[in-house]
Amino acid sequence: MSMVLNEKPNAQEAPRVTPAGVILNGRYLPPPQDKDGQLWIRTNALVQSSSQELYSLWRSVERAPEWQEQIVSVIATSPTTSHWVMRSGDSTIEWDSEVLADEPGKRIAWKSVGGDSGNAGEVIFEEAPGSRGTIVTILQEFRMGKLAGAWETFVGRNPKQTVIENLRHFKALAETGEIPRSRPQPHGDRGMSGKVKGVLYSENISILPGKVSGGSL
Amino acid sequence: MKAVCWMGTSDVQTLNVPDPELLNPRDAIIKITRTAICGSDLHLYDGFIPTMESGDILGHEFMGIVEETGKGVSNLKRGDRVVVPFTIACGSCLFCKKKIWAACDNSNPNAHLMEAAYGYSGSGLFGYSHMMGGYAGGQAQYVRVPFADVGPLKIESDLSDEKVLFLSDIFPTGYMAAENAQIQPDDTVAIWGCGPVGQFAIASAFMLGAARVIAIDRLPERLELARKLGAVTVDYSDEDVSVLTAVKDLTSGIGPDACIDAVGLEAHSTDLQGIYDKVKTTVLLETDRPGVLRQAIQAVRKSGTLSIPGVYGGMLDKVPFGAAFGKGITLKMGQTNMHNYMKPLLDRIEKGQIDPSYIISHRITLDEAPEFYKIWRDKADRVTKIVIDPWAETAA
Repeated sequence: MSMVLNEKPNAQEAPRVTPAGVILNGRYLPPPQDKDGQLWIRTNALVQSSSQELYSLWRSVERAPEWQEQIVSVIATSPTTSHWVMRSGDSTIEWDSEVLADEPGKRIAWKSVGGDSGNAGEVIFEEAPGSRGTIVTILQEFRMGKLAGAWETFVGRNPKQTVIENLRHFKALAETGEIPRSRPQPHGDRGMSGKVKGVLYSENISILPGKVSGGSL
Repeated sequence: MKAVCWMGTSDVQTLNVPDPELLNPRDAIIKITRTAICGSDLHLYDGFIPTMESGDILGHEFMGIVEETGKGVSNLKRGDRVVVPFTIACGSCLFCKKKIWAACDNSNPNAHLMEAAYGYSGSGLFGYSHMMGGYAGGQAQYVRVPFADVGPLKIESDLSDEKVLFLSDIFPTGYMAAENAQIQPDDTVAIWGCGPVGQFAIASAFMLGAARVIAIDRLPERLELARKLGAVTVDYSDEDVSVLTAVKDLTSGIGPDACIDAVGLEAHSTDLQGIYDKVKTTVLLETDRPGVLRQAIQAVRKSGTLSIPGVYGGMLDKVPFGAAFGKGITLKMGQTNMHNYMKPLLDRIEKGQIDPSYIISHRITLDEAPEFYKIWRDKADRVTKIVIDPWAETAA
């Protein structure tokens, strides 16, 4: 039995559930719906690694820039607090984050405590049915109006999609040791249509470094 | 380097572009020695596959010499001769572990585009749209190969490039099509499309024990190659021929045990439905022209199997699903799980069981590629397969 990702993961006690985090008393639990001022995203991935290793990778907050988009640096300021710097386009935002729950190999919950971003989240690591690997489920909340969310989507990546992409990068890093990329690479003149399409396909999002600790290729 | 770039529908140009570089530890840079134009490249040329961007380098059938490797690649070294599979696979996700390489979870950096269209994303492909990863293709002098420790097949014998090049796509694709057809000894198999994939599907169907293969096309040079492999051919463009009657006549009235659609989304039809699909795709009410798919569903015997190596991209109209259900047929399809077939098929080539180079009709330079895309589309000059030597100079 593990803790569920409930609607306010860091503000109230989570109910207990069967494995998978999206099941409550044998019933499928749909993700929380957006409210004004609050956006929610719940997503999960099946990763071929142990829950302990995945927990460790996630808990190594200073490695977050390797797999979280637009995060420039993370500095651990104490065993449970860290300082985050994010760059989106020309703007840089900073905030502090505090770990609220920490169950090695199982669960981490956190929330921002001051700064430019209001966010809270929870991630759980559970063995998939049939020994198929580990299910990583994340529920993240952004304190942000729908209008602000729409604006972020327009100028860069929708915050919800960023969480989905970050989990994809996390899985790739854990499974393959690198983050697949197809940029930069040779091409002919993109022209106007090619450049517009590039933005539409989110190819203006800066590329993650992948395993920065590994040094040169 | 020189590369063949997609610049818009029906517009392909050979341009000078920067050389590729290693981006990830498991990458390799390959100096390409031979590459080819695939039938599926025509879907890009004709503008049927979304998310192409001007300037994209085309090409997913290529081989060459390893030029450089990232530090995560220990099985290849500079100078090794390799054939590269067109599907890119990481080798460590659940799907790769299950050997469903074309469904690799990790190799498509633009997976979100494919998830939006298809629900889940397949593997990345070389030179085949941004939805499929946006990877630069191999109709060029050099290419970057991701997960080079998983995909490339080393060629250690002295077989010529032309004999092994088609292990990069069309030979395994034709073979998997025959395997997907679940052929049992003594079966009769009908194959629509006698282009390169159809050719290898015919050869593979015989390898897997088919007693009779019926090959359907309209181009005399392709039908002739099919007959040389031992197939019975049906020319659908002959006014006196009804394909459905022909396959019934050739199967004692019960229909083929298996059908293979080696045509895909740009089927040419001579009848009313051809006009219907042409009109609907032109006004964007339909994305694909599924003439062959409809016919094959109709033609296959009760409880038969329909294998589909031909590429489909989007929304299809008037597919007779009632017939598929009513006869209880099995449908099998999808991008080729390349990595399963390359080595066993190389063994067959080395043993002399098949020489895949028999389909080549034209050998060209990179500079000639734009002209030959047009020839390939128009099926002019008795073209059956175009191979490019990226280092050859065009005669003045």
